Amino acid sequence: MDTEAYLVEMKGVTKDFPGVRALAGVDFRLRQGGELRGLVGKNGAGKSTLMNVLTGVYPSDAGEIVVRGKSFARMTTTLSRQLGIACVHQHSQLVGPLSIAENVFCGALPTGRLGLVDWDTVNREAEERLGRLGLAIDVRRKVEGLSVAERQIIEIAKALFAEAQVIILDEATAPLPKSDVELLFGFVRRQREKGVAFVYISHYLEEIFELCENVTVMKDGRNIGDYAVSELTPPALIRAISGVEVERFRHASAASGGRPVLEVRDLSRPGSYSHVSLTLARGEIVGLTGLEGCGKDSLARGLFGLEPAGQGEVLLDGSPYHASDPREALDQGLAYLPRDRHGLGIIGARSIQENITLPILSRLTNAAGLLSARKETELVSRLIALLDVVTPSAAQPIQFLSGGNQQKVVFAKLVSASPRVLLLDEPTQGVDVQAKVEIMKIIDRLSREQQVATLVISEEIGELLDVCDRILVMFRGRIAAEFETSDPGTTVERILRAVEGAAQS
Amino acid sequence: MRAQRLIPALLDHLIWLLLLAVVAFFALTTRNFLTGANFINILFNASVLGVLVIGQSFTLLTGNFDLSAESTLGLCGLLGIFFITKAGPPLYGSGLMLPLWLTILLIHVIGLCIGWVNGVLITKMKVNNFVVTLAMLITIRGVTLLVNNGQTAYSTSKAYNWLGLAKAGPIPVPVIVFLVLFVLGNVVVARTRFGRELYAIGANRSAALASGVRPERRIIQVYVLSGLLAAFAGWMLSARLTNAMSSMGKGMIFEVFAAAVIGGVSLKGGQGSLLGALGGVLLLTTIGAGLNLMDVSVYWVQAIRGIIILVAMTIEAQKVRVASAPVRDRGAADAGAGPRATGGLSAA
Amino acid sequence: MRFLRTNSVPALLDNLIWVLLLLSGLAFSLLTEQFLSVNNLVNILVHSSVLGIMVIGQSFTLITGNFDLSAESTLGLVAVVGAFLLAASGEPANGSGLMLHPIPTVGVMLALGLLIGAVNGLLITRMRMNNFVVTLSMMIIVRGLAFLLTQGKTVTHLPESFKVLGHGLIGPVPVSVIVLIAAFAVAAVVTQSTRFGRDLYAVGGNRDAALASGIDPDRRILHVYLISGALAAFAAWVELGRLGVGATRIGEGMIFEIQAAAVIGGISLFGGRGTMIGALGGVLLLSVINSGLNLMQVSGFAIDMVRGIVILAAMLLDAQKLRYRQPASQQAPSARLAA
Repeated sequence: MDTEAYLVEMKGVTKDFPGVRALAGVDFRLRQGGELRGLVGKNGAGKSTLMNVLTGVYPSDAGEIVVRGKSFARMTTTLSRQLGIACVHQHSQLVGPLSIAENVFCGALPTGRLGLVDWDTVNREAEERLGRLGLAIDVRRKVEGLSVAERQIIEIAKALFAEAQVIILDEATAPLPKSDVELLFGFVRRQREKGVAFVYISHYLEEIFELCENVTVMKDGRNIGDYAVSELTPPALIRAISGVEVERFRHASAASGGRPVLEVRDLSRPGSYSHVSLTLARGEIVGLTGLEGCGKDSLARGLFGLEPAGQGEVLLDGSPYHASDPREALDQGLAYLPRDRHGLGIIGARSIQENITLPILSRLTNAAGLLSARKETELVSRLIALLDVVTPSAAQPIQFLSGGNQQKVVFAKLVSASPRVLLLDEPTQGVDVQAKVEIMKIIDRLSREQQVATLVISEEIGELLDVCDRILVMFRGRIAAEFETSDPGTTVERILRAVEGAAQS
Repeated sequence: MRAQRLIPALLDHLIWLLLLAVVAFFALTTRNFLTGANFINILFNASVLGVLVIGQSFTLLTGNFDLSAESTLGLCGLLGIFFITKAGPPLYGSGLMLPLWLTILLIHVIGLCIGWVNGVLITKMKVNNFVVTLAMLITIRGVTLLVNNGQTAYSTSKAYNWLGLAKAGPIPVPVIVFLVLFVLGNVVVARTRFGRELYAIGANRSAALASGVRPERRIIQVYVLSGLLAAFAGWMLSARLTNAMSSMGKGMIFEVFAAAVIGGVSLKGGQGSLLGALGGVLLLTTIGAGLNLMDVSVYWVQAIRGIIILVAMTIEAQKVRVASAPVRDRGAADAGAGPRATGGLSAA
Repeated sequence: MRFLRTNSVPALLDNLIWVLLLLSGLAFSLLTEQFLSVNNLVNILVHSSVLGIMVIGQSFTLITGNFDLSAESTLGLVAVVGAFLLAASGEPANGSGLMLHPIPTVGVMLALGLLIGAVNGLLITRMRMNNFVVTLSMMIIVRGLAFLLTQGKTVTHLPESFKVLGHGLIGPVPVSVIVLIAAFAVAAVVTQSTRFGRDLYAVGGNRDAALASGIDPDRRILHVYLISGALAAFAAWVELGRLGVGATRIGEGMIFEIQAAAVIGGISLFGGRGTMIGALGGVLLLSVINSGLNLMQVSGFAIDMVRGIVILAAMLLDAQKLRYRQPASQQAPSARLAA
């Protein structure tokens, strides 16, 4: 296909950040005449980074961007906007306290006599323009009173008024009721018919299948395939996204029998999960997987006290367990590795040492009640060695470490609290391949040497098969299936089917 | 990369370099500057401000500030004299004639309560800290005016005034107290669990929570501490002056702020040390004393202090720029996402 | 045509100030006889004039989400500079001896106000410094300069012609009242009906959105600080006329009342919302409370306390309002999880 047939072509785009190659020679093309293109991939795959390069937020380190036949080595936000590329994401680009009409004309309000703003024209024109897009809404309403879907529609409308031909919807739907999603999709489809190209980034695969004509799958910074949605089945798509890891580490069960360490009985929280029951034995490693939104990470956060756990019963070593905040969870012996490392996992500006010892400071005091430097350095050095953290010194601010090492420090912090139960949410996310293996070995060692019961939440089914004794699948808030990894019948396909929601055969 | 780490390190200790430079300047240009008596005088003037700065630094570390401290100082300083003094002219006390120990206890309880209310409004009611402590500043000042109808109260109690006027050898008691409190405060900040948790809360409150810290509890505690220290400072000042005007302490909050920030205690929280704050207090007071010795008009002093604050702030702003650059990149890298480095928190 | 949800959010909260004003007016007219007299009402307006002009300036900065804590000191410095230029030297006037004509004096005063505003604005936008800290420092510096100039003495014996704004009358109406109303009227038109004014709301409401819409937030912020400085200078002119002397402490401590009046009147400390008319309401409310309590012969300090409580309540309300402004709650994912 010659270049003229493409509206946008990204060729060989590469983007590096310190320690990680976020995009590695990515090709991405959008056709002329309108398209509904899905862009999928796990967290860290590079979807948003790719779009950020296209909109000029990040300069690329290599590759070129061709728009309507013209080639650009450097893209800037202004240039991108001028070329008709717009992005709508969760950070609203609308001014809340102002009306819809005023937002539509923000920065370019029509004026009348004496150079004063002509409000009648503002309101009338805004209503007309939105009407032409098929919308009937009171333009005098303040934007902050609109629902998320309505706001996104207005943002798309604004982009269209600015003659945008490519609109990127980055995780635009997040938590939305079905009716709102329908609203948004109807609007998007109508615009596509008029020749606008949409790039739809989402974790909700159901939506991809509902809305998109084509889908591009990204993994580890690469474009691993462009597919027509009509030729795909959901399991095939999931498989393409998660891939199957080459086996390089196999965990042999170290579970000891006896009464389970953690028992969750019929735990329900409206809106997140319902009637969840599971058990973890001493030394056992259990995987928990499912689609985005199935409830797996809510469950972990609820158990750890970051969110309310809901109704139901939880027992730790036979005794009732309840945590209203993380402190209580840690004190009872339950530790959690958050998915959001930067927001919840590490305190970037503080030193590695401080990060590790933060939960257990009360144990590091001397007779006078002050922190003992000796005890602290001893503990920290031991853990750094145990987990093989690469750093010149423990006094360094943790933000300067690579992702993999940061994750190991978070592990060290959890280990220092001597937990009985570990909840790990995406422990290998945002970490280079070698560190992934190291982390899996850490998980294995902890179960073996310390008999820690571990729950690993992950969308990397291949990794789960490597490191877990059992794998649980959640679907729409419930535990839908359970697999023994030692069972030869447990394959990635079977697990994927359960993830997708097919009934267990 | 080296330079990026070196500059913040230098800037962290900038306050001492500045202090040294200022001392050198005055030593060369003024007679009588490098005398023991002068240094003691400087410390004496710094003592009340210093105590307030300790309290403010604690709240600043968590990323909050307490604008109401000056009013708490005013109220408690007044009540201290008010409770123990005869009513009517010439002293204008309450006539309650409470025992000294009870009075001291009461004013500190009051300071504690004010701090507690601040803390609760900010954490549990989630009201903005600027708004809460500003409103408290105004209200408490109003209460102070009401207590004695705006009339100044005078203290003739030697026991009460001891804190402000007594000397241990050549060194005034307030100086000793102030230095002791600073040392204690520094130990708490640098070497206790409490202090560590404050830094964590200021640097990343949610991560601190996920690591077992209880931010709300700590924040209330630092506001209580600030209130307590403000009450104590009120006693110190009214004891030194042997009287308490209803406007006592008015306008002090700005200097408190300035000293802390000049000393490296960041407005954003999670950064700085009490030692640095001490440096800030000393710098401001030294400049004042030096200019005084040079017979510079007291009005110049005001203006110059303001300029120093401004210069220090500019440097702080640059510090933030230098320090934040690598973080942003790391964040983006690891989440693999764009500017919203949330790592894709699930909706579930 | 597709119809979207149209549940409208009542704007009652934003008009609360008028309800409050009405209530307090009623209350005081019942509690004291003199309250409802023409004389008293005019008095209220006269005493509101300086505060009012300062509140306009502060509201401009607040709408963009910035503070100008230095305004009270600008008021003071400009006032004494003006007096200084006008008055004779030596005792008892303590002026410069230049005995400048009022017109160039006013010119210098306004220029000084603009200069201070420029310094604030540039430090905040170019040097990216925190607005609270910058204007706080300037507050101290500028007041210090005022003291430096006058050496603590009050400048007196100003020419009568200068006092027009403060004392003059046009017919039965005091000039200061006309100035107050005119100033608010102009400010209201600017904020509601000019591109400049609307840009300010955008900058304060969502800076990124404003930037994406082609607005230059930094330029606008510089502009509002210039306005704040100029208005403080203008207020100095009025105040000087009213007081008749240039006291070094003019305006000291006023900053809290200014913020309070603005917030009470609906200008949010968080930026992006509120109207000038509302702010006028805030100014009037504070003045009404002052007047009413005075007439009821309540002690001056009790008045201060009541004012403090009113300010506290206003600010708490402002913070609470923020919570209720969150959009229609999104349904939890259960809607999608439901079979």
